[in-house]
Amino acid sequence: MAPSGLRKANDPPLLILVSLADGPKHGHALAKDIEDFAGVKLGPGALYGAITRLVERGLIEPLGSDDRRRPYRITPPGSAALAGALADMRRVTRAGLARLGLDPA
Amino acid sequence: MKPARLLRWYPRTWRERYGEELLALIQDTLDEGRPTWRLRLSVAWGGLRERAHQAAQAGTAAAKRASLGWLITVTAAPVLGNLPWNLKATLPPARVWQKTAAFDALVGAFAITGVLVLASGLVAAPAFIAFLREAGWPKIRRRVAWAAGAAVPAGGGLAGLFLGQRSMSSAQLSHSWAYAIGVVATTVALVAAFGLWASAATATAKHLKLATRARAAQPLLAAVTLTAALTIVPANLLWLAAIQSSLAWLVVGVANLALVGFVTPRRIGWAVRRSRRLRTAASRRTTHH
Repeated sequence: MAPSGLRKANDPPLLILVSLADGPKHGHALAKDIEDFAGVKLGPGALYGAITRLVERGLIEPLGSDDRRRPYRITPPGSAALAGALADMRRVTRAGLARLGLDPA
Repeated sequence: MKPARLLRWYPRTWRERYGEELLALIQDTLDEGRPTWRLRLSVAWGGLRERAHQAAQAGTAAAKRASLGWLITVTAAPVLGNLPWNLKATLPPARVWQKTAAFDALVGAFAITGVLVLASGLVAAPAFIAFLREAGWPKIRRRVAWAAGAAVPAGGGLAGLFLGQRSMSSAQLSHSWAYAIGVVATTVALVAAFGLWASAATATAKHLKLATRARAAQPLLAAVTLTAALTIVPANLLWLAAIQSSLAWLVVGVANLALVGFVTPRRIGWAVRRSRRLRTAASRRTTHH
């Protein structure tokens, strides 16, 4: 497993970090955004399971809110973990595309 | 089914922290409709996973907290339980010195362990007295009462085994089912008593405000105590080898001694480094203030 714990492109923690990379969101907004950009429909159980683990590892943090819909934002360690995981994926993606002759890079 | 009832799948502590948020998400997802089976399964599966995660975390934390106490417990209890039986063993005069030497090593290991446990207690004594003066007794009363209660059958069982050993011959002891059951029951009672005392000591230690010197001494004392407790195992094996004239016990005993000799210096080295770090951190704080 990668040091950040982010393994696959459709891992709920990775999708949540990508979604939060452009700003804070609450649970429902996260689920909608992830469905839009990744085509993955996360159930409430899977979404909050991943949120709990990310908060525990300090990769995201809750923002103060009077509403029940508490927004979360990505932390600096979270941004670093996301950047590392995406760089790993880009390396694998480039190698795969090059070997298929689809991308000369 | 009301969405709030779905939260029962989750542990209480999780519900207190995230319950309202999850309910809000479920209600947003439902949009006035009823929860679908897919949604119910997602929440139930998430709740069960959270319970498993918390149980695993609690288990790991408990194992870390209790490892030293339980290691000493499971080491010392069977040895003590079998002590009266093994003391009865007779040997030809030529091998008596082996039995005496191995037995002396065993008693020495027990004595050193006891002294070190006592020393750890004495180092913490001023903090313990201060804790009692600040009305701390009710916080540990129940654990101490359980430990004291468990010590009664353990001590009674051990006394009974010694009395039985005196009144029966070696051959009678070997064929007595009642004595064998007594050994097993006493060993279980000893494990319970040692374990509950270790648990009471751990719980008490959490409340103590130890002085810097005492805090720095604790890791070292714990490591040396562990070493002394672990030497009980090879000492007992070598004693059994002498009593039963068993090459197998001798080999296992020597191998065990080598293992203790390999593992414990590292543990002591780690404890020395930790003590130094604690002392350095304390002196930095003093300088800073």
